[in-house]
Formats: sequence, C-alpha cells, structure tokens
Amino acid sequence: MTTPTRPSLDDPNLTIPVDHAGIFEPIPMARTERQQEFYTLRDGEMLLNLGPQHPATHGVLRIVLKINGEQVVDLDPVIGYLHRGVEKLCENADYHQAICYTDPLEYIASLFCEWSPVMAFEKLLDVEVPRRAEYIRVLAGELNRIASHALYVGFFALDLGGITPILWAYLERDEIVEMLAALTGAKLLFNYFRIGGVNGDLSHDFMSRVGDWMSRAGRQVEAGTALLNENEILVRRARGIGVLDRETALRMAVTGPNLRASGIPWDVRRAHPYSVYPELEFDIPTRREGDSLARYLLRVDEVKQSLRIIDQCLHRLPDGPVMAKLPRLVRPRPGRAFAAIEGPRGMYATYAISDGTDQPFRMRIHDPSFIHLQLLGLLTPGNLIADTMAINASLDPVMGGVDK
Amino acid sequence: MDRALHARLETRFGELLLGPVRQRHDETEMRIGPGSVPEVLRALHDEPGLRFELLADLCGVDTGTDLQAVYHLWSETTGDWLRVVADGLPREAPRVPSITFLWKGAEWLEREAYDMFGIVFEGNRDLRRIYMPDDYTSFPLRKDFHLPDDASRSPGGGVRPMEQVGRPADATDETARRRSNAS
Amino acid sequence: MALTPEGTGATQAPGAGATPGAGTPDGPVPDGPVPATPATPDGPTVADDLAEAIVVPNALWSPENPGAYGGVPLDRTPELFLRRVEAEGIGRRDDARWGALEIVPTTADLVLDLIRANSLWPLLSGLACCAIEMMSTATSRNDIDRWGHFPFRASPRQADVLIVAGTLTTKMAGPLIRLWEEMPEPKWCVALGDCTCSGGRYKRSYSTVQGIDRVLPVDVYVPGCPPRPEGLLYAMMKLQQLIKDRRGHWRERQIGPSVPAGV
Repeated sequence: MTTPTRPSLDDPNLTIPVDHAGIFEPIPMARTERQQEFYTLRDGEMLLNLGPQHPATHGVLRIVLKINGEQVVDLDPVIGYLHRGVEKLCENADYHQAICYTDPLEYIASLFCEWSPVMAFEKLLDVEVPRRAEYIRVLAGELNRIASHALYVGFFALDLGGITPILWAYLERDEIVEMLAALTGAKLLFNYFRIGGVNGDLSHDFMSRVGDWMSRAGRQVEAGTALLNENEILVRRARGIGVLDRETALRMAVTGPNLRASGIPWDVRRAHPYSVYPELEFDIPTRREGDSLARYLLRVDEVKQSLRIIDQCLHRLPDGPVMAKLPRLVRPRPGRAFAAIEGPRGMYATYAISDGTDQPFRMRIHDPSFIHLQLLGLLTPGNLIADTMAINASLDPVMGGVDK
Repeated sequence: MDRALHARLETRFGELLLGPVRQRHDETEMRIGPGSVPEVLRALHDEPGLRFELLADLCGVDTGTDLQAVYHLWSETTGDWLRVVADGLPREAPRVPSITFLWKGAEWLEREAYDMFGIVFEGNRDLRRIYMPDDYTSFPLRKDFHLPDDASRSPGGGVRPMEQVGRPADATDETARRRSNAS
Repeated sequence: MALTPEGTGATQAPGAGATPGAGTPDGPVPDGPVPATPATPDGPTVADDLAEAIVVPNALWSPENPGAYGGVPLDRTPELFLRRVEAEGIGRRDDARWGALEIVPTTADLVLDLIRANSLWPLLSGLACCAIEMMSTATSRNDIDRWGHFPFRASPRQADVLIVAGTLTTKMAGPLIRLWEEMPEPKWCVALGDCTCSGGRYKRSYSTVQGIDRVLPVDVYVPGCPPRPEGLLYAMMKLQQLIKDRRGHWRERQIGPSVPAGV
C-alpha cells in the first residue's frame, strides 16, 4: 500500500485536493435500501445537516434531516464520532484494568457503567461481594443517579432555550459530585467499583456531608423543578411531542425511563433484582403518555425515589469489609456471564466471555443510549425542526455510551 | 437457574439445538444454527408459554475460529436471562437472518455487529457501518485485528492521510532549534 | 445455585494458572490456541518510515515582514494566500501586528492584547467527558465569566479559542479541523484532558488521534482525566498570559507530535 505523503507548504506545485485536506466528509453513497429511500428527495424537500458540532446535540452526534419547509420528513442520525474502541481495548487488558475503560462510556453516570462489568466479572469468578460493599455501591449509585438526572433537567431546559436551569442543575450536580469526590477521589470518572467490592470505605466527612445534603435535598428538588413544571414554554414545547407508545417501545428494545414513560413499569431493579435492591423499599414511577414531558416528569419522580433509597441505605449500612480478597491478576474459569443493572438512562448490561487467561476474551457492553438514539428517527418525522431538539433532549442520549 | 425453563426449551426446540441447554447462575443458554434464528426467536417472542418480549442485547463474538451472533432476551415468565447463540458462522462469509422484523430496535445492534465483525444480517434494511467511517476496510473486533504494542503509533494511522503519524521531532532537529531560538 | 456449569466435568481453581483454551465444552475457545500473531495483520498497517512533522511557519507575522497581515481579494482565494501574501508583501494596515513590534510594544498593541485576552470567546465544542467539566467551569460554581469567557459561541466564525474537550477520533478529526480552519485569526487552541494531550487512556486504540497536536497547533495543554475546573481556569489564565506576553506558537506552529523520538 503506497503511503501518501503529507502535503508541504514549500512545494511549488501544491494543490490541496479535497481528500488530502481531509476536512470534508463525503456524502455517503446510498448503499442500503433505507439510504436510497432517505436520499431520494421529493419536491420541496431538502437535506439539512445538524453537524457533529452543535450546541444542542449532547455530544458529537450528526443528524441529517430531510425537511419540507420546517417540518421534518425523515431523519438519519450518524454516530461514531466518539468511537474509542473500548471493547477492543478491554480485550487487551486485565480484568481489573478493563473496569477502568468502562467509566468514560456514559461519563455522566460513570458508576453505572462500571457496575455491570464488575457484576459480570464477579459472576465469572464466583466472588461474593460483602454486604457493606453492596450498600455502598447502592448509595454511591443513587447519588450518581440524582446527579445525572439533575443534569438531564438542566440539558432538557437548555436545549429548549432556558439558560437558568442548567446553572442550577450544575450547582446541584457539583454539590453531589464533591461528596462523591470525597468518597472516590474523582469528580466525573469515579473509578470506584472493583471486582468484589468498592475501592475504599466511607469516611465521617462523607457521611456528615451526605446527611447534611439529604436534609436539604427534597426542598432543592422541589424548588428546582417548580421553575420548569409550570413553565408554559417548556410544557407546550414538550407535551405531545415525540409520543412513544407501548408496542413501539417494546419493539425498539427500549429500557429505563423512556420505557416507563410509555406505560410499561419495567425496571431491572425489580424485574431482575441485583445487589441489595430486594431489601430496599422504593416505587417504580410510571407514566402513560409517552411524550417528552412525561419522560421529563418521570425522571423528576425517580429522583425522589432515589432519595428514599439513599435514606434507607444510610440507616441500614452494615459493618464489614468493603472488598473481597482477590489476587492482582485474576484468571476466571472459561465461561460466559451476563449482568444487567438499571442506570439513569436504562439498562446497562455486560456480556463477558472468559477463556481462562488473565484478559477477558470478549467484553460486550450494552448501552441504553445506543438503543434510544434509534427512537429519534422514529419519533421526529412529522414534527418541526425545533422539536428534534426537544425529543433528543428528552431521550437523554450520552454520546460516549452511544459510540463506546 | 430455572429448571422449568430448561425443560420447556428442550422440549420445544429439541431438534434445532446444537447442544444441551446450559444454565449458570441466572442465565440460560441455548445454541442454534444461524439458519434457525428467525424461527426460534419468533417462537420465543410469540408463544404464550415463553413470551421473551424484551431484547436485552445483540452482539457478535469471534471465537478465534468462527463467529457467533449472540442474543439476550428477557421474559416475565422466568427469572433467568436467556442467551441464544447462533453458532458456527464461517469467517469468510458470515451471514445470519436479521431479526428486525421482530424488534426494530435491533437494526442498529446488527449494524454494530456488522461494523465490528463483518457479520451480514440478511434482511436488515440499513446494513452499513455505524462506528467506523464508511470507507473503512477492516473489522476491528475480529481476533486477527491486532492493537500494536507501541503506544506511540496508533493503529488508526495509515488508512487516511490525516491519521498518519508524524515523526516526533528529535532534540537535534531543525525545528527544535528554531523553537528554542524563538522562545 | 450450583457453581459449576452443567455438562462439564472440568473444574479449575481460579488464579491457579488455568491453561487457556483448555477445551472445556462450555468455553467458546477452540481446542488449539488462538494464533497470537498472524503473518500479516488484518487492518491498517503502520508505515515504518514516518512522515516528517509539518512545521507551518506562520508567515502572516514575522519580523521580516511586519506589514504582511491583511486579507486577500476574493479572486485570489483559491490559491495559497499565505505564501502569496508573504511573497508580495501586501501592505495593509495591520491590526494584529505581532511582528517587529513584539520587541517594542506600543500602547495600542498593549490595549489590543488586553482586550483579546480578557474577552476570549470559546467555541462550544465539547466532544466527551471533559466537556462536562468545561461546562462545569462555565457555570456558577467555577464561573469562567469572571474572566470574560462565558459566551461559548456556537459558530466558529465568532469564536477566539478552541477548547478541545474530549477524545478526538479519526472520524471527528475532519470536522474538527474544519472548525479550526473556519475560525478567523487570531485564534488559540487549548487541549483539555489527557485524551487531547497525548491520547490518554486510549493510547492503543484503533480509532483515536493520539493527541490533538498531531492535527492542530496547541497553545496550552491541560492534563487530567478529567481535569478539574480549576485546572481549566488556570489554563485560561495561562493563555491570557501568553497573549499578553506574545509568547507561544504564533510564529511557528508545529503540527505534529513534539515528543522526542527516544521518549
């Protein structure tokens, strides 16, 4: 293969052809049926590119819109701008190292991204996690869920044009995340869960901060969302937009709050319980309308349930070790394991295959945002261009998870 | 580990299974040939005794010799995850019928398996690359695609002119001298 | 709950040096070992003779030709206006005179530098996790508006500094370079996070650019994964200092890795 030389500005005959500059992405040739149907423009239709850099697309997502005037006729999301090859990197790393690759997947909810691989590896190794570690995991996880939902509320309002809620949301999130930084050492990519437990025990500082925050949290949630729940602009831009009905939700393999907002009360914590969730009392909020407003209100309800769970964890925390004893280099028996958890966006799952060596043979990470982004092409046609953003924000995709 | 599920699967799909139904922890696994995928999955989805209506995951696996397509399903009739492994896909032309007729959400999952392994899902209306650029020629998650040991040379280099790795400037190089003069 | 999988008699203690691919019926691994290194690796080959790092002398501003700065008429834009400007020395009024006057700055230039430094408008381009920290820097708790950098402009035409926050993949490199080229001079670039400084935790990945200095000229590097908002604030203050001191990469921006070969 001839390696093309890099262009040099000193070359007198220099021309910069489009390929070498590499700054243009060619319009893809319509290779598949769906693409042929998409790129056939009828009279009055045009293609609009919502490029990978856009203030409202939650990361590097490129959406090609086919519009007729202002109405969206069809939509094609193009992803892969953040594909970092995590699954391949995990195959080349140890089991403990592979956990570290998983938390930047959905960086806003990074403890959940670590949780399902850790559970899958524990199944492969037949390791039992101490109860104190399980309670700490639930506690930290629910704090992360609240932080993630706070950001969701902020981004939802930001995409619809409101600047104040994102500032308030970041205040909430920064406070929670400083508590988690006292516990784990990091603000965003926590790297806290280990195979067999968690990295470090709770400290008095952390407990007092959590207790103090819990006494204020309920009122802060109410105050934050009161600004938005009755806001006419938000309600009118979100009500009835992007309605997802029950059958479609099941057919699209949707999980998490997007599924529960369409009326199906399915939550991995109740449908397939893991960790210490069977011992905790909490409800599964469900809404029936299935529109963007329902998805938003449902996540606010979930924050309240998370506060209940944190309260119970703080009261029931048992004593004991926080990590099971494992060797540095673990070699599980050859086998396969699948573990799924409920994260703020849906079901995070890991399918791990071990071949007896110290590196995973295959580590498949299933991410909910990847599935939910398909809904964009399904729900948007018929709405206006501005509704694309409302639907995108309500589905809550995180591009790190979409692209892995 | 649901024994009743084991029995139900063995009786219903006996002749289509490539091996015994295996169970471990809370997972049940069955292996079928790639041609029986639509029939088996439709039965799992529709039949009142099985009702595996939720598709949890769809992925490809490279076992070193063959490829596999693995489906994970959930049903409210049982407490186990069901894993359906379509085994024995040949490396040079792996083809599996698509299940987008049952779960439209499997479209992107199949695209991802195609992009990473080259498994062609027949019947998927939009089978093109999803993560890598459209003109990419390799299938990254296959076992014969290796990541190099040298951390400074990215394996992405060389395919597109922009990805080519530039040579790090030596300390005695012209550029370093000019830089030290300039600052 | 039985611990051994059904249908297999092989039990191996974990961590006791189990033979890989030992042919247990439930493992997907074949009986023979998976070939470790094939004869020809499938996938992109890495060229042994690496291309030279490109050094782009910034010919707009150089001590030899202080009047070089200026726009190019529209009928000349298909050509490389950089070299043409340098060759012909178009004498226009220079509002961005960095050249000879950087030795003896005048009051006007001092004021211009202060204006530019204290009102750097970043481009709203967050790629991955570091974008969350960048937005955290922009919001109330670590308020970057105190330095004047709050308006994150969505359009590159209105932006001064490109803070690359997040992993750059080869697919995204094209659009990012396009954004960089669309930004008008003077412009600066901040590499936020380990992934942009050097590839970070994705050093062996097949689809990431190992540090954005391979494709963009970087002025300030901010290490961290992700760097704390205070880190980004420090970096912006460093950039302000660079602008006021007229140090840095203006005249000679090296595109290409700047790590010596032995490292």
